[in-house]
Amino acid sequence: MASLTVDSSLAADDPVQLFEQRRRELARSKRAMNLLFLALFAAAVVASVYVSRFYPERLASGLPRIFEYFGTIMPNLELDKLFLPRGDNGKAVPGSIAYWYSDFWTYLRLIAETVAMALTATILGAVAAFLLCFPASRNLAPNSVVYHLSRRFMEICRGVPEILYALIFVFAIGIGPLAGVIAIAIHSAGALGKLFSEVNENASMRPVEGIRGVGGNWFEEMRYGVVPQVLPNFASYTLLRFEINVRSSSIVGFVGAGGIGQELNRVISLYSDDRVVAVLLMIVVLVTLIDVFSERLRLAFIGKENFR
Amino acid sequence: MMANSLPNIDDKTLLSLRNQYPGAFGATSKQLIRTLVVVSLVAYTVASLWYFEVWRLASASDRAWRLISAMFNWQDMANWQYAQIYSGIAQTLAMAFLGTILATIAALFIGFLAARNTMPISPIRHLVRRMLDVLRGVDQLVWGLVFVRAVGLGPLAGVLAIFVSDTGTLSKLYSEAIENIDRKQVEGIRATGAGPIKTVRYGYLPQVMPVFISQSLYFFESSTRSATILGLVGAGGVGMIIIERFRANLFDQVTFVVLNVLVCIFVIDWLSKKIREKFIGETRH
Amino acid sequence: MLKIEHLTKSFATRNAVSDISLSIPQGQMVGIIGRSGAGKSTLLRMLNRLADPTSGSIYFENRDIAKLSGKALYEWRASCAMVFQQFNLVGRLDVLTNVLTGRLYHHGIMSSMLQMFSASERAFAIKALDRLGMAHTALQQADTLSGGQMQRVAIARALVQQPKILLADEPIASLDPLNAKIVMDALRTINREDGITVLANLHTLDTARTYCDRIIGLQDGVLVFDGPPEKLTLEMAREIYGAEAEEAFSEGMTSTALAGVPAKERLTERDLQRHSDMSMS
Repeated sequence: MASLTVDSSLAADDPVQLFEQRRRELARSKRAMNLLFLALFAAAVVASVYVSRFYPERLASGLPRIFEYFGTIMPNLELDKLFLPRGDNGKAVPGSIAYWYSDFWTYLRLIAETVAMALTATILGAVAAFLLCFPASRNLAPNSVVYHLSRRFMEICRGVPEILYALIFVFAIGIGPLAGVIAIAIHSAGALGKLFSEVNENASMRPVEGIRGVGGNWFEEMRYGVVPQVLPNFASYTLLRFEINVRSSSIVGFVGAGGIGQELNRVISLYSDDRVVAVLLMIVVLVTLIDVFSERLRLAFIGKENFR
Repeated sequence: MMANSLPNIDDKTLLSLRNQYPGAFGATSKQLIRTLVVVSLVAYTVASLWYFEVWRLASASDRAWRLISAMFNWQDMANWQYAQIYSGIAQTLAMAFLGTILATIAALFIGFLAARNTMPISPIRHLVRRMLDVLRGVDQLVWGLVFVRAVGLGPLAGVLAIFVSDTGTLSKLYSEAIENIDRKQVEGIRATGAGPIKTVRYGYLPQVMPVFISQSLYFFESSTRSATILGLVGAGGVGMIIIERFRANLFDQVTFVVLNVLVCIFVIDWLSKKIREKFIGETRH
Repeated sequence: MLKIEHLTKSFATRNAVSDISLSIPQGQMVGIIGRSGAGKSTLLRMLNRLADPTSGSIYFENRDIAKLSGKALYEWRASCAMVFQQFNLVGRLDVLTNVLTGRLYHHGIMSSMLQMFSASERAFAIKALDRLGMAHTALQQADTLSGGQMQRVAIARALVQQPKILLADEPIASLDPLNAKIVMDALRTINREDGITVLANLHTLDTARTYCDRIIGLQDGVLVFDGPPEKLTLEMAREIYGAEAEEAFSEGMTSTALAGVPAKERLTERDLQRHSDMSMS
């Protein structure tokens, strides 16, 4: 104890000592916070491992099976037979691409259906979002009742994942792409509606006031004051949503709502393993193509804006 | 006063004005193109809806009404297995948490491999990037389905699915953050004679860490959202409870579970926003 | 005749406009002066009903404008045009469509949503643009114009409304001296040729003196001066402008005064009487 007090009295005029003391104080106060944070984090990890039964032995037994499975779904291609056409009896030779992709035209039709589903759902969703976004913008809403109603409605639309909506609609109207289209359209309406109303809230109010000043009613204020300002942004967001919807429409088939997902679900659960990669490959190619295409289009929109 | 009617403009003036400003009267080419786009979009929508058999909506009304009334008519609430429902929600959160942490760890390494400034060997960089593209290109739900086939039903498949798809996206975002850093700070560290590992530690990490943490938090948020539906294909969590109840036609319980999940997601969104604001000092992602 | 009686607008803590009574004969050109925040804008916005008065009334042709709502309110706004400091045009629409928005009140929901304007309306709009020397820009996008050009387009929009009153809220505050002169000249021409009452908020004293038949001075929302420009003494003006006096006077030197102001042609009461007779018939 005695030496400590001597130290501190010395510290008063030695800059290094002074600094060290300050540093220690600071570190102590920070350490408590960091320790608490670390403990919370560790507790969360332990709890998560326990709750999701993510034990090392399960992982250890699971990992080899993963690699095993990825081995089995690889196509069985043989180099010398790779490009052999179908035989005279119409049967393809095992080991050739024609055999691996013997259902190619079915897949292609389903891929087209998937894109069509995404496109229709995006259009319907964007139209609904367009109608909803004006009352749902704080600066444009005619009154607070309409504002809150449209906000809550959009939250419900986008809060529930599209595949859950798909499940419900498959039950209500039966298996097929229509259920998927409606499900994705509802979710898109909510998601786009939120983005649209954010764009509206950033729009200049001067033109709106100008239209109000000439005696325009609320609809005319929106049509002439707001829409010309926000339309390019709306188009860009809609294209982005189309990209997302292509992904969604390729999976809503898991619950029977049409598109390529239905086929993927079938080949995965029917143990026709080499087909899994065949279908997956087509989905990856589709998604990549759509992304590239839509990015070009969006750049064209934004580029044109900058040019002006 | 005739304020509401236009003054008469005789045909001759009108004609001369028409000749002077032809664009002001007839439709311009821009308007024509716009009309054409709108008409073709409408035509497409009508045709596609016809192809999707839209009339089934009309015949389904009876079934739909039964479904809706069942969903909002909560019966026998005392016998619902609340413990099972809430442990399912907890499991979903745990899956999202573990999956995001594992993906963060993986992305910490892969991110540096995919960034131009930290991985000068371009074949390796391109290989890593293409692999990440595949991980991202396949939807999380598809990964769930694949892992369920590989390791069986349960949350393990869910964690792996989240891990794989989040690794794809997080690595890409991390590598972009690494590419966007300030070169001068790295040069400063390198000038002191630090090796590559030390350069990363003192030149890169202090710059990218806040971005990394905020991205990961954001992904925890979005993973909780997506983890709820992983159960639909059997990959554990609350989704399995939803689909079981749905198959058993217990629609009232489905509504209850979904509402609970929505509240949960709302709370997590809010918490993560607060954390990001407090620790990283960003107001909006 | 526009009659304002005890018009008041109060915000949470203070009155922006308090108890103003005025009567303005048809065809007069009135300049409203005062420092920033004196309530000039609020007064004009209440006349067009972009702002609702807290109390008081506005009478025009035996109707209380302050009590209008719904369709009648839109009709009033259409017949009482407004020109703004920041022009308030729709930047991404072309000039012609911007001018045509002045006709919106006369359109049903279908034709206005689909931008269907008749050929005679278009011709009328072009003539209005032509009066302001802007017809050559009719198909240009509005946000490619300069500030002065935009204000002239805004005045053309006001013209196709065929208003009885034109309110101008600081119409030249954002413009350079030359454009300010063009715009003020245009406003006076409209006032003289069409017999439209013009009420303009003007920040600079000189502009008000040069162009207006009558000057109204506001101070903290209270009417402190009302009379012809020559009655406005220097002391009175200093009182009205307060700390901003130097700025208001010196700006006056450089703004509309620059290009050489033409001789005043102020209307007498008899001229005004003749004007209103003409518009009645």
